[in-house]
Formats: sequence, structure tokens, C-alpha cells
Amino acid sequence: MNKHVNNDTYVIIPVYNEGLHIGKVIKQLKKTFHNIVCVDDGSSDDSAAAIVAAGATIVQHATNLGQGAALQTGIEYALQASNAQYFITFDADGQHRVEDAQKMLGYLKQHPVDIVLGSRFLGAAQGIPVLKRMVLRMAIVFSNITSGLKLTDAHNGLRVFNRVVAEQLKITMPDMAHASEIIHRISVRKLRYAELPVTIVYTDYSKAKGQSVLNAVNISFDLLLQKVSRK
Amino acid sequence: MMIIQLVLVIVFLYLLLKFLANPASTKMRAWKKIIGMVLVMGAIFVIIFPQTANDVAHFVGVGRGADLLLYVLTVAVILAGINLYIKSQQDNQRLVKIARKQAIMEANIRYKQL
Repeated sequence: MNKHVNNDTYVIIPVYNEGLHIGKVIKQLKKTFHNIVCVDDGSSDDSAAAIVAAGATIVQHATNLGQGAALQTGIEYALQASNAQYFITFDADGQHRVEDAQKMLGYLKQHPVDIVLGSRFLGAAQGIPVLKRMVLRMAIVFSNITSGLKLTDAHNGLRVFNRVVAEQLKITMPDMAHASEIIHRISVRKLRYAELPVTIVYTDYSKAKGQSVLNAVNISFDLLLQKVSRK
Repeated sequence: MMIIQLVLVIVFLYLLLKFLANPASTKMRAWKKIIGMVLVMGAIFVIIFPQTANDVAHFVGVGRGADLLLYVLTVAVILAGINLYIKSQQDNQRLVKIARKQAIMEANIRYKQL
């Protein structure tokens, strides 16, 4: 592995009780990316040990704050490095493929865009459950109406963006609603975005762990209340 | 004066005292204190002269003073709930900021970055 490859790129992985998978995920990423920042979001299992053993940088929340908060912590940590020009958010459970991240990074570098979002509906989603597909479809319709963007996937954890976006994101929704918040931010700041097809590997494990259907309702309420409470 | 009136007046006066003597209340805005005092005085007034509640109810088109009280109470409880929810969200944001700062500081020490 060449250590200078992608030295300007930081992969940020929010980790919450992923001790079983995070080691493998880091090992696969390490073949391509040198800078991997794992934010251990107050895991109670051996995630921290697995992260250290796999050789990634670990930033630890003292208590569980939620995936959105973990992402923001990772971004702020990586922003301290002046060589950090590109940022990749990646899931800890192994549902994303490193090739997709690489492809998205290449696209960002070659095209005049600020952020590249992964979409499982442009690509081949492997074994996506029917109910989940329906919920995600509805979520994207709602999201496109409120944001004015034209996306095909609202809640995909795989994103690649440049330093300008990293400095502007400022995720405040601690939990899963951060995905909608990011889209909202793209819309308000008029960031240049693109969507690329990615393959999501739906294993039984990630199906069991993934966002429940009811969570979509929670997210909608959070976003509405956020708009109400912000004057 | 009926016993119930006496008890209620004493309870309300005690609550007012507690409210104003609370160390947290020094930070509270003056208008909030004034509203609190006006509310307690209004409550005591209605306790001593219950007929006024009926009069106000009739004036706004509600049958009985007790019904009006229930409606006002319902609205107040909902407002208090929303207020509490927003407050807890703000507190959570504070917690996130503190934990984030601590996490980044710890990592910087660990990796001697800075």
C-alpha cells in the first residue's frame, strides 16, 4: 500500500457497537485510503479495541450522542488537518463498498461539484427489502418537495465532499435526521451536488440493524419541530 | 372563608415564595417573574371570589368558570410540554458540544496533533 495515495482524503466512520464488523471495514478501506477517522459514539462493546487494532484513528464520545453528532465530530477532527481536502462518510457495518467511495471521489475531483451523494436506487441494491424500499421511496419524495433538490435516495450514508462543504455542514441533528439536514444544507447553501449509483450490500445483519420504518416518522417530526423552534 | 379556600390560598402563597426564592429565578427575566406573580394573585383572587371565574367564563362564552379553567389549563399544559421539549433539545445540543470538544481534545493528545 502506498501511504501517499489519497493522503488529502479523510474517511469518517461513525461507529456505534460495530465491534464485529468495523475491523473488516477498516482493513478494506486501508487498501485505498490512508486517513481513516472512526468516531466511537459511546459504544459499549469492543468497537474501540477493534478500531485501534485495525490501525484507524479513533475519536471517542464519552457517551452515545447519535450518528449525526458522531459525523460532525469526525468532520471537525479531520478539518484540523490542513491537508484534508476531501471527506468521505462511510458506514461502519460493511454495507458500503470501497470501490463506490473511490468512484465518487474521482467524480468529485473531475467535475465542478462540491458533494457527491451515493444512491442505491441508481445502482444495484442487493436484496433490499420491499417495505424498506417503499419507505425510502416515500422519504425521497418528501425530501425533494421540501428541499427542491432532485435526488433518488434520501438516506444514504455514503457521501464524498470537499473542504468547503465540510466547513459548512455543521450537523446539529444528533440522530438519523442528520441525513435530511445535510440535504437541507445543500439546498440552502446552493451547493453543487451530484448523485452516483452505489451498491448497498443488504445482509441480514444490516437489515436487522438498519433504520426501522417507524424511524422515518421520527425523522419527519424532528425536522418539522426543528423548523418550528428556529423562529 | 371556607377551609378549601384557606388551604388553596396558603398553597399558592407558598408556591409564589418558592418561585421567587429559587436561586435560579435571579437569572429569570423580570417579565417572567411579573407574569408568575400576576398569575398567583389572579388565582388567589378567584379562590376568594369564585364568582369572578364564572363572570369571565360567561363573558368569553363559556358556560361555567370551572370549564374555562379546564380549557386554560389544557392550553397551559400543552405549552409547558412544548417549552420543555425545546429546552431539552437545547440541553442536548449543549451536551453534544461538550462531548465533542472533549473527544477531539482527547484524540489530539493521543495523536499529538495540534
